[in-house]
Amino acid sequence: MIIIGENIHVIAKDVSVAIRERNEKVIQGLAREQTQSGAHYIDVNVGPMKKDTEETMKWLVNCVQEATDLPLSIDTMNPVAMEAGLKYCKKRAILNSASGKTDSKAQMLPLAKKYHCNVVISVMTDKGMPPEVESKIESIMETVSHANDLGIPNEDIWVDPIILPVSTAGEGQKIAVGNLEFIKILQDVLPGVKSTVGLSNVSNGVPAHLRPILNRTYLVMLARNGLYSAIADPLDEELMAFVKGELPQITDLIYRAMDGEETDLSSLSQKEVAYVKTARILMAQSLYSDAWLEV
Amino acid sequence: MQYKPPKEAYKGMVREVTIGKGEKSMKVGGENILPLHLFDDGTLPNPPKFALEVLDMEPADKTAHLIEPFGNTISDPIQWAKKCEGFGVDAICLTLISTDPSEKDSSADKAAELVKRMLAQVKKPLIVYGSGDEKKDTEVLPKVAQVCAGENLLIGPVQKENYEVVGKAILDNGHVAIAQSPLDINLLKELNVKLCKFLPPERVIIDPLSSALGYGIEYSFSLIERVKQIGVITKDSMTMMPIIANLGDECWKTKQAKENRTQGLLWEGMTALSLYLAGANILVLRHPETLKSVKETIGR
Repeated sequence: MIIIGENIHVIAKDVSVAIRERNEKVIQGLAREQTQSGAHYIDVNVGPMKKDTEETMKWLVNCVQEATDLPLSIDTMNPVAMEAGLKYCKKRAILNSASGKTDSKAQMLPLAKKYHCNVVISVMTDKGMPPEVESKIESIMETVSHANDLGIPNEDIWVDPIILPVSTAGEGQKIAVGNLEFIKILQDVLPGVKSTVGLSNVSNGVPAHLRPILNRTYLVMLARNGLYSAIADPLDEELMAFVKGELPQITDLIYRAMDGEETDLSSLSQKEVAYVKTARILMAQSLYSDAWLEV
Repeated sequence: MQYKPPKEAYKGMVREVTIGKGEKSMKVGGENILPLHLFDDGTLPNPPKFALEVLDMEPADKTAHLIEPFGNTISDPIQWAKKCEGFGVDAICLTLISTDPSEKDSSADKAAELVKRMLAQVKKPLIVYGSGDEKKDTEVLPKVAQVCAGENLLIGPVQKENYEVVGKAILDNGHVAIAQSPLDINLLKELNVKLCKFLPPERVIIDPLSSALGYGIEYSFSLIERVKQIGVITKDSMTMMPIIANLGDECWKTKQAKENRTQGLLWEGMTALSLYLAGANILVLRHPETLKSVKETIGR
């Protein structure tokens, strides 16, 4: 499992201030920490970046590259910022992200070809997010085929099914299950493509102390179905322990919950019980509530 | 070839809850089928019940066609409740609106005393709603629970902000709780999980909040429907409680209902019928004519 470290993210206040004030120490600290924790890429999420785009991207990309040898993932919806970022990447980067939207096809995908980089392509289209697994597959096949026509091979394409919060009134769990299914069948419909997800979004809106267990459990489940990479928090040690295969017993318990097997919870430790309950929630075997571990 | 209609059986069952005591009691819930799926494998032992709402003070809204059936009883909650009994209700729902700090901010003692007097004088089970002010309700509802200890009243709303205090008083004094959450199935389940850590689930009724026709009824409808499905189909213990749809006041707040009598009756009637179809076990209305027409419609 390839982990793209998510912590340089403009939504974080310290990051946005550091970028504005050109504070190398903060940015490089985050880059180093994530590198030491075992990340494989460093995501540089700059949001829409409307001001001083070229100048800021040059500073930021160089700043991160001084602190780490890892390749970068340039994360923005703004094609100008994207190109400015890609231009300064020393290693083969990830363009994060393109989609099936008309603008994205016209402005982002050609950049992936021009800079010969990896490219995250999401299932989004002009109509928004396709609601069902089938329509997601349909939309991604169309966009990938368009990318192929531009000369981007499947091997460079990282498909993103778009993870949504599991806690949103009812629908969230259905979508979580659908995305597991999507990842499972992706290789059959688009052989050779890679895949990625914005993992932490699954726990958006959930009380902060309960977010990590949702993220970890869902990653284990997605990985079982063939997920290639995830944009996630490498500073979460337990998450990284799962990635490195250091928690085989809990992993097995999660697999069994995925298969709908009954597990005798009384024979398990408190921590193991929590993982089984979380897997059941993510499989929509029982209705989500913030109190899911207390049931 | 003979056609054999498919018949579903479900594993979950809505808990049967008794409200009131002895002669003055009613049972709700107990069904192991989806609403009106009488063709399926299961039973509906207790058809939905209807209550009329009585306020503990003269209503500020003097819409003539709404208050007309009650005559001058609207200035006396007990007479108003007795009048309601004559309209064929299964229960009386008393709302302690005067205790609201933005109304009269009347005292918990006064409210509890009224509930006690009403209990002595009406022959139907009593549902008691506080003002909904989550802070004031922590004074009012426990007081009501204490003063009427052992009477098995249906008391609420118990909300996320006050479930510990109000839930505890309901438990200690032998009543049933109305667990209320703001139109969200995940929050609804969370409140039930927390409440049922100390209150037996057989003592909980769900109030998912009922919106009026034209004012978000779709949300209430699909939420009630979903609670029923998850309880009955998937046997989720924390959604297998009966549901109360307290819709009368919501309907009569609308300008359409106030505009004229026919429209008002239809507004409340359509809202009630819709939520009945969705699966509500108790429906609280304001107007006796609506009650009559809804019952007639269902009877057919």
